[in-house]
Order: sequence, then C-alpha cells, then structure tokens
Amino acid sequence: MGTAQIIQNLLNGISIGSVYAIFALGYTLVFSILGIINFAHGAVFTLGAYFTYTLTVGQFGINGLLSGVSLDTQLPFAASIIVGSIFAGFVGVLLERLAFKPLRTRGADSLLALVSSLGVALVLVNVIQYLVGAEIYTFPQEVYGDIKPAIMFEVAGEIIVIRTVQVIIFAVCMVVLAILGYIISRTKAGKALQAVAENQITASLLGISVDRIILFTFFLSGFLGGLAGTLVGTSFGIAGPYFGVSYGLKGLAVIVLGGLGSIPGAVLGGMVIGLAEAFVPPDYSAYKEAVAFAFLFVVLLVRPQGLLGRSLIQKV
Amino acid sequence: MNIILEARQLCRNFGGLKAVHNVSFNVAEGEIFGLIGPNGAGKTTLFNLMTGLTPVSGGTLSFRGKTLTGLPPFRIAEKGIGRTFQNIRLFKGLTALDNIRVARHIRTSAGLLSSVLCTRASRNEEQQVEEKAWEILKLVGLAERGMELAANFSYGEQRRLEIGRALALDPEVLLLDEPAAGMNSAEKHSLTDFIREVRDRFNLTVLLIEHHVPLVMNLCDRIAVLNFGELIAMGAPAEVQKNPAVIEAYLGAE
Repeated sequence: MGTAQIIQNLLNGISIGSVYAIFALGYTLVFSILGIINFAHGAVFTLGAYFTYTLTVGQFGINGLLSGVSLDTQLPFAASIIVGSIFAGFVGVLLERLAFKPLRTRGADSLLALVSSLGVALVLVNVIQYLVGAEIYTFPQEVYGDIKPAIMFEVAGEIIVIRTVQVIIFAVCMVVLAILGYIISRTKAGKALQAVAENQITASLLGISVDRIILFTFFLSGFLGGLAGTLVGTSFGIAGPYFGVSYGLKGLAVIVLGGLGSIPGAVLGGMVIGLAEAFVPPDYSAYKEAVAFAFLFVVLLVRPQGLLGRSLIQKV
Repeated sequence: MNIILEARQLCRNFGGLKAVHNVSFNVAEGEIFGLIGPNGAGKTTLFNLMTGLTPVSGGTLSFRGKTLTGLPPFRIAEKGIGRTFQNIRLFKGLTALDNIRVARHIRTSAGLLSSVLCTRASRNEEQQVEEKAWEILKLVGLAERGMELAANFSYGEQRRLEIGRALALDPEVLLLDEPAAGMNSAEKHSLTDFIREVRDRFNLTVLLIEHHVPLVMNLCDRIAVLNFGELIAMGAPAEVQKNPAVIEAYLGAE
C-alpha cells in the first residue's frame, strides 16, 4: 500500500468514523443514564434520514401509502437537516415514553426494556415500509449547494480524491461533537445529566427532576441518530426501511469497543471502526463489516471494558 | 418558637417489618435536633421519609404547615430540605465545584432549552452559580481544591463537601446522617463547631443522626430516641440520658 493509498484510506475512515461517532453517542447517552441499550436507535437513524429527505424535496415518497402526497413547501437542506433531526429527537422522546418508561415505573428487569425497544424498532421499520415503500431514496445532487463533487490533490505523485460530501459530513460531525461537549460539560442541563448518570437518587435529592433529564437525554439521542442517518443518506442514499439496521449493529460495536457509557469512548470507537473499515482492501469490501466486528473481538480479548471504559472490577 | 417540621403518626412498613411506627415529633426553627437509637432503629428510614425517597405507609409530615408526604424528592429539595448520607454519595466523577454547582441549580430559573441555547439570562445565572459555589467551597475549607475530582478527596473532606453540597440548596432544614462517622476525634471536635457555625450563618434547623454520644450530647438542643421503629424518649440531652427506657434500649434490661 503506497503512501497515497494510506492517506486516502485515512481520510475515508475519519469521515465515516465521525458519523459512527455521533450515531453511537446516541446509544451512549441513553446507556449512561438508564444502563440500557436502546435497540430502536437504528430505526430512529432511518427515520431521521426520511424526515430530512421529505422536508428537502417536499414529497413523501414514490411508493407506499404516502406516495404522491407532497408538502406545500420545501425547506432549504440546511434547515431541513436541523428540523428533521429535531423530529427524530421527538421520536426518541416518544420511544422513552412508550417503550421504556412503562417498564421502568413497574420496576421491570432492564433486559425487558431491551426486548421492548427491539419490538419498537421492528414496528418502526414496518411502518416506514408501509408508508413510503421499500424504494431507495437518493437526495438530490445539489443539496449541499453548488459545489464540486470531489476534491483532488496530489501526494507523492499519486492523486487522492475526496468526495466533497465526505468533507462536509466530517465538518458537520465535528461541529455537533463540539456543541454536544459544550452542552454536557458546561450547561446546567448537562451537569444535571451527568449527575443523573452517576446517581439518580442523589440527583433527585438535589432538586433535579430525573424524569425530565431522561426525556432530554432521549431527545439528544434521537437528534444524533436522525442527524447521522441524514448524513449517511446524503452520501450513499437511503437504502430502504432497513437502512438503519446494519448501522444500528455497527453502532453497538462502536460503543462496546469504546467502552459502554463513555462519551470519549464512543468518539474514539467510531473513528477506529471507521478506519478499520476503510483499510479493508477493495477486493474484500463485501467483508467490511466482518472486519469491523473481528477488530472489536480482538480488542475485547485484551481490554474487556473497551478502549476507554472503566475497569469492570470497580462495579462489584 | 415556630414549628418548622412536624411529623404526625409517621409509619413505614417493609413487608411485616415496622421500620418506623407511629412516630410523632415537632422540630422548632433554629433547633439542632438529634436522632439516636441502636442500629436498625429506623433513623435513616425516617430521613428517607422526610426527603421523599421512601413513600410513607401512614401518617403525615409537614414543613411550615404544608404537607410534604407524597411529593417527589426533587420537590421536597426545592422546598428547602437538604441532606447528607451515612455512606457519602458525592458525584465522584465530577469536580468538587461541579458537585456544588449541580445542587445550586435548584435556585436558578433557566429551563432546559434556555440553558442549552446559552441565553444571556442563563449565562448570567451560571456566573452567579459559580460565584456562590466557590463561596461555599471556601466555607467548607475546600476552596483550593475546587477543580479536583471528588473521588480524590479524603473521607473527612468528602463529608465536608457533601455538607457543602446540601448547603448549596439554600435549605431551611438540613438533615445530617452520621456526619461524624469515620472521623478521628480532632475532626469530630471541629465538626461540632462547624455544624453550629453553619446553623447560625444560614439560619438553619438541623436534624442529626449520630452514634457518637458525646457529640450528640454536646451539640443537640433536643434528642429523640428511636428503638425498633418507635419513639421511646424525647427531650433535652441530660433528661434523655437518664431515661430508663433509653438505658434499656442501649444496654439491655437488667
């Protein structure tokens, strides 16, 4: 592998890795508060992409129940990605109320919450299929404005080609990570979130409404999931209702690799998995996901708590 | 004197166990009120009832004439009841400053949205919160270590930080669950002065669970004695000390 090829792979890896990171953060936030994996996160990813698509092109679909139905207005892409992700955030809130809270208030085992979220995921996927069909939807070319489709430059006599979309995706993800980092570590809401993550009882005795913080967390989680779905959608198209399923699994690999509940871990894990995939030679690209999971497996043999996870011994 | 806290026939059962049974008492404003009793007498359960962590099985609890029973813990905290724990419960992953800041947010009005959007009002508020937090850290003698993680603090320091965190709520009533546990005798001695100082400075009413008898006798205006969930004596320290029922509970019947 030449230098140019390595740089090419690195750039591809960090671009997709940054999307994995913000997607996986959605899992991490919920896990750090409730100690539960939200299996419907992949479905929220899909929904977010459809929301943004609909808002941008102004129509619901070319198949399914909503085919031919259109909106009165079309939003510019920059606005629809924000509004679409906010809608995804509200789907997250709804999820919490329908799939998690009823079980939590009855003191059910957390394994049941996992099954319940899996159920919701299946329902969502099927509802999407019913409403807009199983077609692949692609965003119009010009959503990011009038830009060159690719950036080319030369390293050691070889040409490196980066799709502009990849650069934009990476930039958006970095901005979102910075904002999220600010919210969590600097604002009142973020401090409360950290407090609830550490101990719900103590937090409630200090005047924090744990219920509201849980809703806030699910909103953030849904927002991040929907945003990640949209970004991937603009790069590769929305590959039908099952679009989010494989990303959902990959997101799990990311958080396990990074360390469950660790926010820096989710970012690092996303980057590592993105890079691991990018370095799979083109001839074997069908095995990309297998490589990512094999990598996860090897890391867990050495560090069962994940890259940045706290040692498991502390939890006894 | 004004009654600030009133318990009427408080009961809490855990299955067949009567952890707290028909306990009634009044606490006057400004008082330091001790709760003592053998292990398992129901002292901590009583604190849990007062802070809303455990729902009551019967009876009522009121604060300045308003009922507390049935309110969720965060509402009770808002009304002005702060507490510390027997086994310290700081947010170990947060700095000392942030531990206090989290609690101080109870006295701010910014909602989730305005805090996330960093509106000017919420930024000003945050500034005040930070100033207040440093002030409290200074009061508990931890001002130099505000930016350190709470997990790195010694046992005595963690106790002081936890009291500081409760004070950040601007409470009118402070519940201290075994504040002297694990302290050496010098620390216990300075704790007595510290609790008095805090009471005077913040106009607090203090309820105190403590096993260390000299500390309780020295510090408290009145003492209530619990045994097997029931109140067996109440009064000034000297009276309680002589009460035969109390002696029996602690030493067994002769």
